[in-house]
Amino acid sequence: MKNQWIEFLYGRVTVKVTGRGLERFLNVLTRNGLHIWNVKRHGTETITFKMRLQDALKIRRFARNSQCRISFLQRSGAPFLLKRLLKNSGFMLGAAAFLLLILFLSNMIWGIEIKGAKPDTEYQIRKELDKMGVKIGQVQFLVDNVEGIQRKLTNNINSLTWVGVELKGTTYHLQVVEKNEPKKPEQLSPQNLIAKKKAIIVKTYVETGQKVVDINDHVEKGQLLVSGVYGQEGKPELTAAKGEIWGETWYKSHVELPLVSNFKVYNGKEEEKHSLLFGNIHLPIWGFGKPEFKNYETETDEHKVHFLKWELPITYVHKTIREQEDFQRSYSNQEAEQKAIELAKKQIKSQLDDDAKIKDEKILQKAIENGKVILDIHFKIIENIAVGQPISKETPE
Amino acid sequence: MAKKWGQRVRNWMANKMDLPQDVMMDLPRITMIGQIHIYIENHRGLLAFTDKELRLLLKQGQLLIKGKSFVIKTILPEEILLEGKIDQVIYITDNAGGAK
Repeated sequence: MKNQWIEFLYGRVTVKVTGRGLERFLNVLTRNGLHIWNVKRHGTETITFKMRLQDALKIRRFARNSQCRISFLQRSGAPFLLKRLLKNSGFMLGAAAFLLLILFLSNMIWGIEIKGAKPDTEYQIRKELDKMGVKIGQVQFLVDNVEGIQRKLTNNINSLTWVGVELKGTTYHLQVVEKNEPKKPEQLSPQNLIAKKKAIIVKTYVETGQKVVDINDHVEKGQLLVSGVYGQEGKPELTAAKGEIWGETWYKSHVELPLVSNFKVYNGKEEEKHSLLFGNIHLPIWGFGKPEFKNYETETDEHKVHFLKWELPITYVHKTIREQEDFQRSYSNQEAEQKAIELAKKQIKSQLDDDAKIKDEKILQKAIENGKVILDIHFKIIENIAVGQPISKETPE
Repeated sequence: MAKKWGQRVRNWMANKMDLPQDVMMDLPRITMIGQIHIYIENHRGLLAFTDKELRLLLKQGQLLIKGKSFVIKTILPEEILLEGKIDQVIYITDNAGGAK
């Protein structure tokens, strides 16, 4: 009886011994190292005691040499409990299956809610989601993560400005903002049009207002182009001047382009790894070993495992490892020059309005230094230089 | 005679060297907790056991414990823990009882 719990674990049996020479039998047992306890006497020829299950297997050997008869009364402890459990394993199986089923169902997509979209956009979104595999009944692990869905939706559907995707439990909530912004209200307050930069006027188109400048005029920044004031002198009327004044403007651009540059490019080889993360312990499921690639980039996609509404400390991790290769790009001087001009054009265009046009470019300075092409380029641009400037009523011009 | 000599030497050593008697002389060590528990170390086997009486073999003589509703809680080759209501603990020596 040194440690009840260990005895419980190993299992114990109650033994009934009848016959003569019981004390001698007990002595034999103890001297052979069998552990017995709770010895009780019942009448003259009967004794009961408890012993370990392991020892009970040996007891027959000793009983043979004595004049006693043995019978086992009661079995208790873990081994017998386990036996009973196995006998009723249907229950256990049922319980396990139930938990697994709930676990499985907790990680399914059960709903997709789209808010803020017109019916036809919603239909489009649903179709796009279907294509991605995001549909009711799909397991969440097999679907992109939220950011991916968001990115793909915004890329593939033109009429969307922004879509916020959120996963709440088993439902995806999509908050949609469509592109058709309301039209700007017509600006009705009186205004003039003035030049936003120095230019030579190329073309004019005036809707309302009094044109002040003409083609081939040179205007400075802030100069009046179209006046919103008209009518007789002394009795001016104000209006909102509207129109487009196209002027030739000039930009200078400085670009440097290295002749030799190194890039990292993916070469198409990739490995996939699946694993489970229990807290901090990593358990790989598929894809073992270190990647064979020298240079690589890893993309990690994580899905939390849910149970009903709770998040379990288990994460399903899907890693994609892509091999990178160094790629060296080298240009000849001429190529480099061309590329540099293109680069400069791109830079300029990003600063300009969409409808501006590059009319001409001229290389002012060209130098090749330290393996770099350095260019100063002068651009002639045709763009709309008119911007509105409100006229205050107190000080009419 | 030789046995007695040995006994004497051991007794003397135990006395003079301040050693515990039970170790030196192979005597039983009996620990009792009130009336309910008795723990006997260094016995030589069970002779008789009923719920009113327990008889143990010692190296010299026997030990008889009388009482009520005895249960052996643990029994090991040289130790025994008895539970119940203990009334008497009696030593039975060779010459007195003549059991041997």
